[in-house]
Amino acid sequence: MDIPAMRTNFAKAAATGDEAPLYFYSHLFLSHPETRQMFPVSMAHQRDRFFAALGDVVTRVDDLDALVPILQQLGRDHRKFGVLPAHYPAAGASLLATLEHFDDEWNPELAKSWAEAYDVVATVMIQAAEEAAGSPPWWDADVVGHERRTVDVAVLRIRPHTRYDYLAGQSLSLESDLRPRLWRYYSPANAPRPDGLIELHVKARDGGPVSSALVRSVGVGDVLRLGPPVGHLGLDPESDRDLLLVAGGMGVAPLKAMVDQVARQGPPRRVDLFAGFRTEDQVHDRADLERLAQENPWLTVTLAVSDDPTSELAQGPVADVVLRAGPWTSREVCIAGPEPMVAETVSRLREHGVPPNRMSSEVFAPSRPGPSVDGEVTE
Amino acid sequence: MSSAASSTGNADRGLTPADLQQVRFSRASMLHPGYVESEVDRVMHRAAEGLSRHIAEKAQLREQVRTLQAQLDGAPASEPPSDQAVRILASAQQTADNYVAEAEAFSRAVTGEARAQYEEAVRLARENAGAILQAAQEAAARLTGPAPAGSDAGGRTVAELEERVAYLKAFGQACRTQLRSYLEALLSDVEHEWGSADPGALPAPPRPPAQRSAPEGEQDRPTTFVANTAAEDPAQTSATS
Repeated sequence: MDIPAMRTNFAKAAATGDEAPLYFYSHLFLSHPETRQMFPVSMAHQRDRFFAALGDVVTRVDDLDALVPILQQLGRDHRKFGVLPAHYPAAGASLLATLEHFDDEWNPELAKSWAEAYDVVATVMIQAAEEAAGSPPWWDADVVGHERRTVDVAVLRIRPHTRYDYLAGQSLSLESDLRPRLWRYYSPANAPRPDGLIELHVKARDGGPVSSALVRSVGVGDVLRLGPPVGHLGLDPESDRDLLLVAGGMGVAPLKAMVDQVARQGPPRRVDLFAGFRTEDQVHDRADLERLAQENPWLTVTLAVSDDPTSELAQGPVADVVLRAGPWTSREVCIAGPEPMVAETVSRLREHGVPPNRMSSEVFAPSRPGPSVDGEVTE
Repeated sequence: MSSAASSTGNADRGLTPADLQQVRFSRASMLHPGYVESEVDRVMHRAAEGLSRHIAEKAQLREQVRTLQAQLDGAPASEPPSDQAVRILASAQQTADNYVAEAEAFSRAVTGEARAQYEEAVRLARENAGAILQAAQEAAARLTGPAPAGSDAGGRTVAELEERVAYLKAFGQACRTQLRSYLEALLSDVEHEWGSADPGALPAPPRPPAQRSAPEGEQDRPTTFVANTAAEDPAQTSATS
């Protein structure tokens, strides 16, 4: 494999912007029409992602130790799209055709290098998919509860038909028949329960096809499809330190799941949950959070508003409210919320003296349709 | 003739190579040297039959191999699509993408605007309610402050004022509820528009989940760009206007 030559060649295709992925998918769909139905109607986002992912792979192709786990995850995750081993050579042929089309200096050696590289990638992905064959490629789940909490937030309760294992703090991807082939990530707001119920908090994004449908169109009795769980926000299983959980807006969900996990599985520890919102109207899960705090003597819940002077809740950005209530230096900390809030809270707590290795955080943003090669599920 | 030779008379079994190797013909007679002609003829006849059967069978098999091979070559390793075809599909896809993006942008703009209006309306209502309450409280303080003298100034009792405060509170609440349902109606309108601009939400009936386990089985579900009503709307409006 001549990696520098491959990178030069890839740069030529990548420099065309949308052209190269457009060519790739058109080539793939013409030579293998059966693959078209695995993709959404609008391919615009898909194209961005495909070449970005391929670029990541090309950048790391000489660092197999880092690349292999990423590819394995991708391979497992692709099962939910209905990808079969036979589809890999098809995509490979179209990829080579695309790289050839945009490079005047294409030659047989380059073709050979790319074919080899693609073969490695495909083999790793196919193997990972085969090893995961013990679990279903996706899970069907019934919507058994749907509650509008605010103008644009709904809380859904879903029940997978078969057992669905995940960890508190992880995310799952889901697809609805109302918006076929558009997969989005959401975090369960509870730890796994014996009855299998999963609670999801969904905020309708302006113009967001899936989130709007989940909030305003999906109802009890509808079926959603779930992909395997992903994500790195989680509790250190070795630790029984007291917890500080800081949520902004929809970031409440994974942190509520952690509270639930402590309640169900222990170990016994103090938990202080802070949840910041813009206005009091937007506190979408107030009753349940207050119920939890009342039922569990080890839990406190503090709700804060940053832009609602008449509210009687704690006032100010949630990071301020947290720091007013400290000290937190001995805690294990989890933070979830929108990007500025997470960045602010992490840096303030670091100044406050919480060691970075005891803080985990996840940015909640409009979900991206598939995890990046780094496993990130938001943009 | 030996038993081997006579066994060739078994028409069903045909002539085996072993039969031919083991065949022994009887001497004809002292007058006619050589084998009995009829026996030789019979064996030769069977041999010919067997051979022609094999040849026919072989031709048939070769034909079968050829058609299977053609199927194999034809299906996956078909001609790569021409550049022209790729370009046509690419531009069709781009057109579809643009319509979907436009519909999404439209939905985003309308929903965003509706939300801003709602928040502004709620804020104003709250401020108004707050101001009214405050004014009422001040009035109440004025009335109750200078004790009995003030009570006949406005001709109102404390109880009346309290009643008025409660009324204003309820009024504020009602305003909020109404504004909220107004906005939700707006949002559902937007949703509806989005839904009809979304090809995925159109007639194609949702496939039952069970069918997904066999992706090949879904090939008959065509992906049509025609189903994109967003593509039709502008044409219709321009035709009518």
